[in-house]
Amino acid sequence: MATTAIPSETSPRAAAWPGALLVMGRVALGLIFLYAAYAKLHFEGEWHLRDYHFFFAMAIDSYKMLPISAVQIMARVLPWFELALGGLLIAGVAVRWIGSITSGLLLVFIGAMTRAKILGLEINCGCFGNNEKLGTATLIRDSSLLVLALAVTVGAFLVTKRQDKVSS
Amino acid sequence: MKSLPVRQFGFLTWVALCVATSAAFANPQTKAPAASGAKVAQTGSANPTFLKAIGNPNAPITMEVFGDFQCPACRGFFEGTTKQVIDDYVIPGKVYLIHRDFPLDMHPYARQAARLANAAAEFGQFEAIERALYDHQDEWSAKGNIDDVIASNFPPAQFKKFQAFESQHISEINASIERDRAMGMQRNVNQTPTVYITAHGKTEALPGGGVDYKLLKSYFDYLLRQ
Repeated sequence: MATTAIPSETSPRAAAWPGALLVMGRVALGLIFLYAAYAKLHFEGEWHLRDYHFFFAMAIDSYKMLPISAVQIMARVLPWFELALGGLLIAGVAVRWIGSITSGLLLVFIGAMTRAKILGLEINCGCFGNNEKLGTATLIRDSSLLVLALAVTVGAFLVTKRQDKVSS
Repeated sequence: MKSLPVRQFGFLTWVALCVATSAAFANPQTKAPAASGAKVAQTGSANPTFLKAIGNPNAPITMEVFGDFQCPACRGFFEGTTKQVIDDYVIPGKVYLIHRDFPLDMHPYARQAARLANAAAEFGQFEAIERALYDHQDEWSAKGNIDDVIASNFPPAQFKKFQAFESQHISEINASIERDRAMGMQRNVNQTPTVYITAHGKTEALPGGGVDYKLLKSYFDYLLRQ
């Protein structure tokens, strides 16, 4: 009598799925972060490695949240921070911690955007370049990214926990 | 022997006449831009250009502002940033400031204000009318009584000239506003104020909605150092 091949809990195929999903999730998130950094450094058809921070500072300042000195520091640092996060996510380095930092960063972005919406500020998002207006669509997009980042983070913790169990 | 000085005198007189004639017929804002407070033409030009600009056209930086006189963000930008830019960069000849009309449909009196500004610009009074329109925006934007509110900022005879010019050239003024708007649409302007900076042969769009003066100043200083 033929039996249906239901993968058991311990089958290697089933065990590989969470890992594969995690890789897909972190690579997707990493690519999005790389693109976000790229859009801040390359616009109007050319690289702006020497003056990108002027434009990005203006975008950050439009949120009216930080003093100018903090805005200027953030504008210089954030694109490179996003680049590093994207690279580390793709490389799979310390995914639990990088995922946690990415989720935290996205939470901050969403908080700032929500505050701007509540205050009725008619500003650009500054997320992927300078010419994208802040609106419901940008909020939904960043919220989806947060869900993905949280999934990657939780997944990374679970996979590590399982590996620890197996090795012990 | 006596004919040579007479000829030289005649030649010099002819040159002086040519220079004086060309200066008299040139548009005062394009050839001799009105820096803050500078006096230019007292009567509207026969060939209106509808150029709403302040400063030296040969300045190393050109700043174009797509604005709507009824938009509160434009007023905020004018009060907080543009006035300081005029004092610190336009008057010293470092920045040439151009206003482009981009009246939004949501503001019912924006076009009316833009028409008056265009008329005043033809009399070399663009900076003064821009200040008056933004400084008193709250007073006229509710009922659209622009002339009543703004008239007190100018000598009555001069303001009558603006009104007369506006009514005589209304179709040309409307066409000029539409040209500015079309230019903005072509450049993907989707909000006011939107600022474009041109320097060293390159034009860059700044994030829409206005820019803090300190940040703009640091960008200008960077451009001037290049």
